[in-house]
Amino acid sequence: MKAHNILNITRLYYLIRRHIFSNGKAWLIAYGAISGTLLVITLFRGYFQPADIGGLRSLYFVVMYISGYIFTAGIYGELHQPQRSYQYLTLPVSNAERLLSAWLITAFVFPIVALLTMAIIVFIGNLVMNLTLDITPFKGIFTAGVWSSVKVYIITQSMFLLGAAYFRGYNFLKTVLALFVVVTSIQIVAGLTGWILFGFQQDAPIEFGPQHMSQQMENLFLNILPVAARVVFNYLFVPFFLITTYFSLKERQV
Amino acid sequence: MVTLKNIDFGYTRKQHLFTELDLDLEPGRIYGLLGRNGAGKTSLLKIIAGLVFVRNGQLSVLGCDPQKRIPASLEAICLIPEEYQVPAIRIDRYIKLNSSFYTRFDHEKMAWLLNEFDLKPEHKLSELSYGQKKKFLIAFGLSTCARLLLMDEPTNGLDIPSKSQFRRVIAASLSDEQSVLISTHQVRDLEALIDPIMIIDEGSIIFQKSLQEISDSLSFETIPEIKENQQPLYYEEGLGGYAAIVPNREGKQTRLDMELLFNGVISNAKGINESFKL
Repeated sequence: MKAHNILNITRLYYLIRRHIFSNGKAWLIAYGAISGTLLVITLFRGYFQPADIGGLRSLYFVVMYISGYIFTAGIYGELHQPQRSYQYLTLPVSNAERLLSAWLITAFVFPIVALLTMAIIVFIGNLVMNLTLDITPFKGIFTAGVWSSVKVYIITQSMFLLGAAYFRGYNFLKTVLALFVVVTSIQIVAGLTGWILFGFQQDAPIEFGPQHMSQQMENLFLNILPVAARVVFNYLFVPFFLITTYFSLKERQV
Repeated sequence: MVTLKNIDFGYTRKQHLFTELDLDLEPGRIYGLLGRNGAGKTSLLKIIAGLVFVRNGQLSVLGCDPQKRIPASLEAICLIPEEYQVPAIRIDRYIKLNSSFYTRFDHEKMAWLLNEFDLKPEHKLSELSYGQKKKFLIAFGLSTCARLLLMDEPTNGLDIPSKSQFRRVIAASLSDEQSVLISTHQVRDLEALIDPIMIIDEGSIIFQKSLQEISDSLSFETIPEIKENQQPLYYEEGLGGYAAIVPNREGKQTRLDMELLFNGVISNAKGINESFKL
């Protein structure tokens, strides 16, 4: 297959533009409602508790995460409407472009817009407080932890991108349910493994610390596994879900 | 242009909608695809457009496998479905957002077709009637200059003047390298347009002939009575006698009755197909 048929930057731009302008109205309404609510909460917080703004930062990011996941889960909405899916699937673009356009919008455009909105809300909050009460309460709301939160969002939203492509309808809820099932299954397997290994010591409490491990085991649990988990989360998580989403789009039928 | 060989397809594992279906479409033709409800007309269009995948068989649409959904081949195929939903945006915005993907999109033709169909660029798509939306999609599809146009019941929902408008614009805007495959129940709306005629039944194409072949081999006549020694290939009782299909041994020129032909092929495909070998 020619490279032009796999990825073409111009087509990718057209597809991103089509995504944004075809859904722009609904997105703008949601954006207006959420940012308006956050602004009101910010102003109230600034008025009543100007000295404590730590909770506000958490609120902003909880809202960003939840709305980002919902937004991501709905990005392939056109694909799940039988009377519109034909348009999306017969559009002369490649599956890689279908994937990348959705990923760029949800993983990069969304957090940029969210951070800008937070900055604007903080700015308006400070301005209003300064004009009315002569105080500037929202200082230092964007700390270094912000970038770490954004990074975690970019990584974790890829799960919802797969849910957006894979499930037909109720994508957000089905993805959350799937995650719940996967996490619970892992916990059950881990619990069963622990029970098989240590469950026979019914009278004594289970003790498992570095003193019970050999040198190699200690090295494995304290050094290798955390690094491996970080590598998997930071570098393999997103590619895995993007590749799975790609194949989900490739195999999609109406 | 389109070659389907030994296609097996069904929506479930147990269901077999098509078994060893073969199909060949050539450029420069307007094919009429007729069939009973549930015969698989829409599914066949979806297979050719790459919207559903076959279990077995070989597919080649303009030299590509449509199931791979390669942009170059998608650009050459345009499907206008029977049921559709359009976004709540203006016509001009829809054209701007979607025409960019088609490198051969003809904006002048689009403007002409909108004018023919009495549609204004500032009209909002979601506020149009069903028929107007359909006319818009037909206009857009024709303007993509796709080499293969697949239309599912294109005249459904069109008013009487729009049906003749439709026939006119289709006839006027197609080039020799383009082909159209029209699936329809409304044979009377399209009998002046389609040639050849294909009839699909029980999972295969049971009839595929050009109008010339049909008029050379079959005669559509009204006969006062059915004689035992002169059984027609098919007949229906009507006003003033029987509308019948008989072998055209004397080279008569009769008007093709597409509805009668369809009913005849469905009930006696073998007999009618054999009369072409005579």
